[in-house]
Amino acid sequence: MRRADVGDRLETIALVNGRERRFSVLPRTSLADALRDELGLHGVRVGCEHGICGACTILVDGRPMRSCLMLGVQADGARIETIEGLAQGQQLHPLQDAFRRHHALQCGFCTAGFLATAQGLLDENPDPTREEVREVLSGNICRCTGYQTIVDAIMEVAAQRIADRQAAAGQTGMETSDGD
Amino acid sequence: MATKADVANIRPQSIGTSIPRREDPGLLTGRTPYIADIALPGMLHVAILRSPVAHGRIVGVDLSAARAMPGVELAWSGADVAPRCAGIMASLDQKGFVATVQPLLAQEEVCFIGEAIAVVVATSRAEAEDALEKIDIDVEEIPVVATVDAAMTTGVLANAKVPANLVYRSDRVTDDVSDAFGAAAVVVEGCFHTPRVSASPMETRGFVARHEWTTGQLTCWAATQMPSFIKTMIAIHLQFPEQQIEVITPQVGGGFGQKAHLHPEELLVCLLAIELGRPVRWIEDRQENLFRATHAKQQVNEMALAVDQEGRFLALRDRVTTDGGAYNSLPWTHLVEGHCGILVVTDPYRVPALAAETISVATNKCPIGAYRGVGFSAPTLAREVLIDRAARALGLSPFEIRRRNLIREEDLPYTTRAGLRIREGSFLATVDRLEAMIGYEAFRERQESARREGRYLGLGISIFSEISGIGTRALNFLDFPITSHDTATVRVEPTGKVTVTTGIVTAGQGHLTTLAQVAADAFGVPAEDVTILSGSTSHAVGFGTVASRSAVFGAGTIGRAAEMVRAKMRAIAARLLQAAPEEIELSGGMVHVRDDPGRGLPFASVAGAAYFAEGTHPEDFDPTMEATAAFDPADIVLANGGHAAIVEVDVATGQVRVEKMFAVEDCGRMINPMIVEGQIRGGMAQAVGMVLLEELIYDDNGQLITTTLQDYLLPTALDVPDIEIAHLETPSTLVPGGIKGMGESAMISAPAAVAGAVNDALACLGVTIEQFPASPRRVFAAVARAERT
Repeated sequence: MRRADVGDRLETIALVNGRERRFSVLPRTSLADALRDELGLHGVRVGCEHGICGACTILVDGRPMRSCLMLGVQADGARIETIEGLAQGQQLHPLQDAFRRHHALQCGFCTAGFLATAQGLLDENPDPTREEVREVLSGNICRCTGYQTIVDAIMEVAAQRIADRQAAAGQTGMETSDGD
Repeated sequence: MATKADVANIRPQSIGTSIPRREDPGLLTGRTPYIADIALPGMLHVAILRSPVAHGRIVGVDLSAARAMPGVELAWSGADVAPRCAGIMASLDQKGFVATVQPLLAQEEVCFIGEAIAVVVATSRAEAEDALEKIDIDVEEIPVVATVDAAMTTGVLANAKVPANLVYRSDRVTDDVSDAFGAAAVVVEGCFHTPRVSASPMETRGFVARHEWTTGQLTCWAATQMPSFIKTMIAIHLQFPEQQIEVITPQVGGGFGQKAHLHPEELLVCLLAIELGRPVRWIEDRQENLFRATHAKQQVNEMALAVDQEGRFLALRDRVTTDGGAYNSLPWTHLVEGHCGILVVTDPYRVPALAAETISVATNKCPIGAYRGVGFSAPTLAREVLIDRAARALGLSPFEIRRRNLIREEDLPYTTRAGLRIREGSFLATVDRLEAMIGYEAFRERQESARREGRYLGLGISIFSEISGIGTRALNFLDFPITSHDTATVRVEPTGKVTVTTGIVTAGQGHLTTLAQVAADAFGVPAEDVTILSGSTSHAVGFGTVASRSAVFGAGTIGRAAEMVRAKMRAIAARLLQAAPEEIELSGGMVHVRDDPGRGLPFASVAGAAYFAEGTHPEDFDPTMEATAAFDPADIVLANGGHAAIVEVDVATGQVRVEKMFAVEDCGRMINPMIVEGQIRGGMAQAVGMVLLEELIYDDNGQLITTTLQDYLLPTALDVPDIEIAHLETPSTLVPGGIKGMGESAMISAPAAVAGAVNDALACLGVTIEQFPASPRRVFAAVARAERT
């Protein structure tokens, strides 16, 4: 445990989107603000700063977390993934692509948080039902879409992943056809 | 003679297809900047001290300790701002309307919780907030007007400048309905309370200003739906030369009407930037948004409907009271609720007599403002619930009673008692379609058998029409004496690409995509060849994105401007193809002789000729390949449709679960069906929120007790069910392509469907719910009351 005064900026080292980043923050600065202001990762959105809306959700050590309810200094030694790290080069991640095709975003403000929650969900439960997806998404608020198309996009990616995995395991095309 | 109402010819090709949005890649990768992402060298941050009391006299504000805090560059109270700006003047040239002036920082009186009293500018938001805590304010509390009843009875004034607390009263439609009510077989009546709610976009409000004294330029970044309006209002309120103001709109994280106002903070930030000579940024937090960013929907509708034995409507009576808050918001004022609503309350139905009276009163609350569906939502809810009640009384199905009263094809054009002329619509087809989607008979059987198991299902239906594409005609009809037209500029580039600049901005509704579809069809080129420039007042002039108007004004302005440039393309092609200009058409990327694409030239060749080959020009050819045109529809553009909801009410807990929802939408010709469906689903989710979850609650002292998302409940993925959507298309003759608006449709009508469903579920218990949201507490209490009697 590091000790510091209110006014001290603390050196923090974290693995952010696959690269080691050093930044210094005041102890009172939230992780959301630290990522936005110190690392320029503006894709982290701040909607309520009390942990309800989920717009600031990022992956910390692989798990979805509210970056507005963590301190920047708590990122020390953590592995952090934000929306900026999702696409491979100029290729959208399958979740991003599915969100686009299903029109799962409008103003886009909640999108980064939904993508982080969806990543966490599919890593934990590769074959969710619609109800399970809705349950997990209930910690992210969207004011534009009515949610249905977000559920559609995530269900499609889940099905596609299962189909890909089955195909990779050398099974026949017949058994993977319901993944479309 | 060309007029602003001319309807250009646009042949739908890209229009009507669900092309994916060009906005999405930037939004999906975190790359598109919103207001809070604007970072300028030397930028300072604003924090605002807000009134902790609902009503008080300001005795003193001591800023000395705040000014001495580290990082603080400036601290102001009302006295500092008063000489620079008197406040926001909200007036309407309407007899009896009481104008209000809302100071940017309270002067001698504070009139609601959250009203700004002082401002601090510091090198970080955190330091600015630290300094707020050092401000010593001395406010002497005075009696509070916490409710409409108190406003009308106690004699206490909520705002010393509003006599008798009365902002506006209208009895424009006053038929004598006594005979009709006397002769009625059934009279249904109720006193409906819609909640005070917040649009609550996920992105709060924000504004950044930079003033460069060496050039006199004021550059503003605004999370606004109305950039041109904001620019002109800055010029007027701050007496700043308008030609030196640019308002830039970055991506806006949802607006829903809340960002369609001139907010006091926006003028304040401009003043601070001018004073300090450094960029100044204000990003509010969620609490400020819930306290201050305008509230909406709070009306009381005392409504009665007279119906004959066959279920035909004889008359409708409505007395509407709006709890308008301490000031008028600009530009919509208190009229945004009751006064709008009452003029369209009968719309899709034939109602031979209407007696309507509305008043707006001042209270010590946040000013009422625009939120998707504005004042249309509340009376629609009351009317549709009463229609269901009349159907039950007469033993008619909710579809059948509506069929007997909806405006029929042969009635058109039909003029309502409020004076609205309805040209076209698909009212009966909507009901039929909705009934088929739901499977009405099967639902009633399911409802019956569920009831035997002690489960209470209900079906609610709402049929609506919507004034869309609101321009001057519609605003004037709705009692706003405002002229409203937009412009667009269209340029054909030398390589045959098309650049469009528009005053329409997007807060997520997809305009960069849909306007490109419109422009592409105006020139017969692929949508990929069109760029839409939006989001700076140096582009174009317009009223902005409000009132379901952007598709209509986009098509109208782009259509007219394109027509002018297209005529030049035709003139050149006619000469090269040895045909008459009237015979030349533009389609499929070609400029060709009508019905003979083979006898034509590529669009890009003709464009190139206009720029670079004088020899191809007809005599007296003007090679200006860009044009700007204004548009304002010749009459009101009415869209229509219907919604339905099936709910289950748990009478043991009062909990309402929405099982399924349905929508039929007729917005004329759809530009992009995928985007239209997204708009419908989003609006229906907000409707679920308004009717079952959301409520801003003021206590007896005028204290707002719902200032976080823990208290103010927004619908989640567990509250909104899957939604089934069907489309009808009745083209408008007043808009290119036959397009109509629809952005607000679901928030106008779906609340009524949800409210009707709750009432239908509980009708068998003799329970009616007229106060919303239908929270578990309210539903449980109503059921318990019914069981006791």
